[in-house]
Amino acid sequence: MKQLYNDFFGEFGGRYVAEVLRSPLDELEGAFVEALSDEAFMSEFHRLLASYVGRPTPLLHAENVTRDVGGAQVYIKLEGLAATGAHKINNALGQALLAKRMGKPRIIAETGAGQHGVATAAVCAKLGLQCRVYMGEVDMRRQKPNVFWMEMYGAEVVPVTSGARTLKDAVNEAMRDWSANFADTHYLLGSALGPSPFPDMVREFQSVIGTEVVSQLSDLGVRPTTLVTCVGGGSNAMGFFSPYIDQSEPELIGVEAGGRGPAQGDHAARMNGLGTPGIVQGYRSLFLLDNDGQVMPTHSVSAGLDYPGVGPQLAHLGQTGRVRFERATDAEALEGLQYFARKEGVIFALESAHAGMVAIKRAKELTPDDAVVINMSGRGDKDLFITARELDAERWKEFLTREVESL
Amino acid sequence: MSDTTRIMAHVIPWYPDRAQSMDAVRGLVDAGVSYLEVQFPFSDPTADGPAIQAACSDALEAGFTVADGFAFLDEIRSFTDIPIFLMSYASLIYRPGVQAFVARAQEHGVAGLIVPDLPPDYDEGLYTACRDAGIACVPVLVATSTDTRVDLALSTRPEYTYVALRTGTTGSRTELGALNMGFLEKLGASGTKIFAGFGIQDAEQVQALAPHCEAAVVGSAFVRTIAAASGGGVYEAVKERAESLLGRK
Ligand SMILES: Cc1ncc(COP(=O)(O)O)c(C=O)c1O
Repeated sequence: MKQLYNDFFGEFGGRYVAEVLRSPLDELEGAFVEALSDEAFMSEFHRLLASYVGRPTPLLHAENVTRDVGGAQVYIKLEGLAATGAHKINNALGQALLAKRMGKPRIIAETGAGQHGVATAAVCAKLGLQCRVYMGEVDMRRQKPNVFWMEMYGAEVVPVTSGARTLKDAVNEAMRDWSANFADTHYLLGSALGPSPFPDMVREFQSVIGTEVVSQLSDLGVRPTTLVTCVGGGSNAMGFFSPYIDQSEPELIGVEAGGRGPAQGDHAARMNGLGTPGIVQGYRSLFLLDNDGQVMPTHSVSAGLDYPGVGPQLAHLGQTGRVRFERATDAEALEGLQYFARKEGVIFALESAHAGMVAIKRAKELTPDDAVVINMSGRGDKDLFITARELDAERWKEFLTREVESL
Repeated sequence: MSDTTRIMAHVIPWYPDRAQSMDAVRGLVDAGVSYLEVQFPFSDPTADGPAIQAACSDALEAGFTVADGFAFLDEIRSFTDIPIFLMSYASLIYRPGVQAFVARAQEHGVAGLIVPDLPPDYDEGLYTACRDAGIACVPVLVATSTDTRVDLALSTRPEYTYVALRTGTTGSRTELGALNMGFLEKLGASGTKIFAGFGIQDAEQVQALAPHCEAAVVGSAFVRTIAAASGGGVYEAVKERAESLLGRK
């Protein structure tokens, strides 16, 4: 059996935290390892994944895209059809169940775009847990609809006014809250990063994506050549890749946010030499740091990829060459979004659209006997306010103006 | 005031700017604090409270760099022999290489390093590097640390140990509480000298803590004093505050 708890992945990972967070992390490690080998716990998790999250999510043969590209067969794992619109809910549900099992009635979470916050808020409502979500003030302004939904689910959304007032600052604030309240509080971290055991735990709860893909492909009699997905912190990527990482095939491609270009501050890509080994927010990995070790600003049109660090296991898999990393720019993501909408009738989240574009390029280089599988980690409804402004500014402005006037 | 009332004063270079942060240091030294804890600001200080995090952001915005930080220490050295402990986060220590950072700290006359997110079992060689350089590596504990964690810290044979105490939610502000008190007594019995803080804001709290540790750490209180006096009179305000905390006024 694969090892659940690793702490380190090659030189990356670890638990670099101030002493106050040691006991909650030690406790969490024990509880996680125990719960995952408890059949009752896992069957409750899978029961709710089916009835509440809506799993399994479909695997779509993208026939029009395949024809249009004229290379490999293209498949899309429609992970964005999970409840609340993204893969984030798999992990949120798993950790919330774990918190309940640990007797912690209060959940805190960080969120950037709000997808993880929305998933956490929903799951907490379902499981009867108290929920507080930390969100950077800048993100709250950009992502008002998600704030609205989180509050609808009964969560308290707390604006973070420190630092850059974005995702990484929300993580800091959540860690601070946890330090003071761990006796009754679980910190439900949203990506495959942070101090151990989070990277291992988040991968395990997300591995349902990859497990389903394996069986769906096998039902179709398809052997995948290439898997492609986007990488923010790495939760959907680790979940999607997990059944395959110990094999030499298929090819695994992670796509990072190329933003406006490779200049400092214009992107959020940490692999391929852009990031530096560092220790930030409790784990060792590759980060966008300046020469002093200060965390640098990042940019991406997709808030979910806009983070300066990559999960430690992905950093390691990048180093060993098992996962290859590419970048897609803001413009390419927007192009991908429109392409899949028109050709295939599927609206990708902006994060996932990064992967879509790279997948198409790769498919073109392959043959019809090959299969490229894209993980559409989220659906694009959530991005309406960003995409409409980017793609149809004039009419969108008119609409908003009319809306404001009618209020 | 008793002879045992000692303060370790926390300062952030470049907060609110270079000149005023040096004024604050002079005020502290002239008031008679016993130790300085100089925090090199980091962009993501997860172990600090909101007041210190905000001050660190301001300092970075004012242009603080690590090179400036060491120059700042040199200037302090030019007018006082007060022991300086350099506090920062793993990212700043790890980026240039732990050994290189420690060597630099030693060259600039630092008595010890305090790095909360490099605990002894995830230290990247910090404890060994400090021992080799002949400077103290100060483990950070909390009053809720388990015996295993305390033993691990003590296994590094620390000359100094830093304890972040829990503020009681009830009782008077000067009351340390049985948990904290018991912890300090037990730890102190090992022979390590303790720096202890818990958001100290007044002289009574310093007095209450004094008999149980080498020095009481005062941090956010000075940040507030500096914020209030910023723009003129930081030296006087900080000196007065420190004297009052020491029970001299
Ligand atoms: C739809 C979607 N995809 C991807 C991500 C990136 O996160 P991760 O790399 O952890 O999957 C996010 C994060 O918010 C997201 O909302």
